[in-house]
Amino acid sequence: MRLVRYTYPNTRSLAPFARSPWAGLESEIDRLFQSTLGDFASTSATRRVPVDLYEDKDNTYVRAELPGVNRADINIELVDGYLNIAANRKIKTGEREDTVSLTRSVSVPDAAVQADKISAGYENGILTVTLPKREEAKPRKVTVAVK
Amino acid sequence: MSLISSIIPSLNRSPAAPAQETERNLGPTLKPTYELNETSDGFALTVYLPGVDHAGLDIQVDAENLTVIGRRVWKQPEGWTSLYRESEDATYELVLSHDNIVDLDKVQAELRDGVLRVALAKTEAVKPRKITVS
Repeated sequence: MRLVRYTYPNTRSLAPFARSPWAGLESEIDRLFQSTLGDFASTSATRRVPVDLYEDKDNTYVRAELPGVNRADINIELVDGYLNIAANRKIKTGEREDTVSLTRSVSVPDAAVQADKISAGYENGILTVTLPKREEAKPRKVTVAVK
Repeated sequence: MSLISSIIPSLNRSPAAPAQETERNLGPTLKPTYELNETSDGFALTVYLPGVDHAGLDIQVDAENLTVIGRRVWKQPEGWTSLYRESEDATYELVLSHDNIVDLDKVQAELRDGVLRVALAKTEAVKPRKITVS
């Protein structure tokens, strides 16, 4: 968490005889908590693409976190009931250019989606894929007359 | 008293979370994925903040820390039902202490497609210097 680690000298480090007997244990416990909990809440490794699924009356939505990707480098396919999202992130450091490929598949039942009407948008590093539902898959209301 | 607390530094510890965090009232926060690279004249900080735009981004530099706060702009619209979630709605918060090796007047930041790039220039004092031998 620090750019450069520097420990300011204090009474404890300058006078070894005055060292608290718990100092070693204390810092060890701090270090353990830092190493296990420090990254606990972070948004996971760079290669994983977190995905959210939503639906409303007419569409199903897939929202994927893909920060730092050009629109041209995003490739979306619907193959055999899976929506495949593939993207390449290009990172320039000085003269060198690195490419990180990110992929994610989401299972989408073929029967429920109008495959030819899928659309996608990309904003602020989040990709939203809109999958329109088929008429048959939409919730229907059937009124049955009772004789 | 100060002598005792200097011998046993744990007496200075506050049992609760630091007060400054509760002041801003961000609620639960999420540490974003970030990369930090050092060059000869500075540091290049890359923070991945998907879902954050210019209005939701807040970068503060004070004497100790560089703080990046990113609020998500997108809200779940009316009528949308969430089926499955992997991301969180929590605000991003990243605190890095810089130990005054960074020139605070020359901090440059750019946010594009959910990636924040911050260029931090080193202060003259910590830059490598060549010493000529006479």
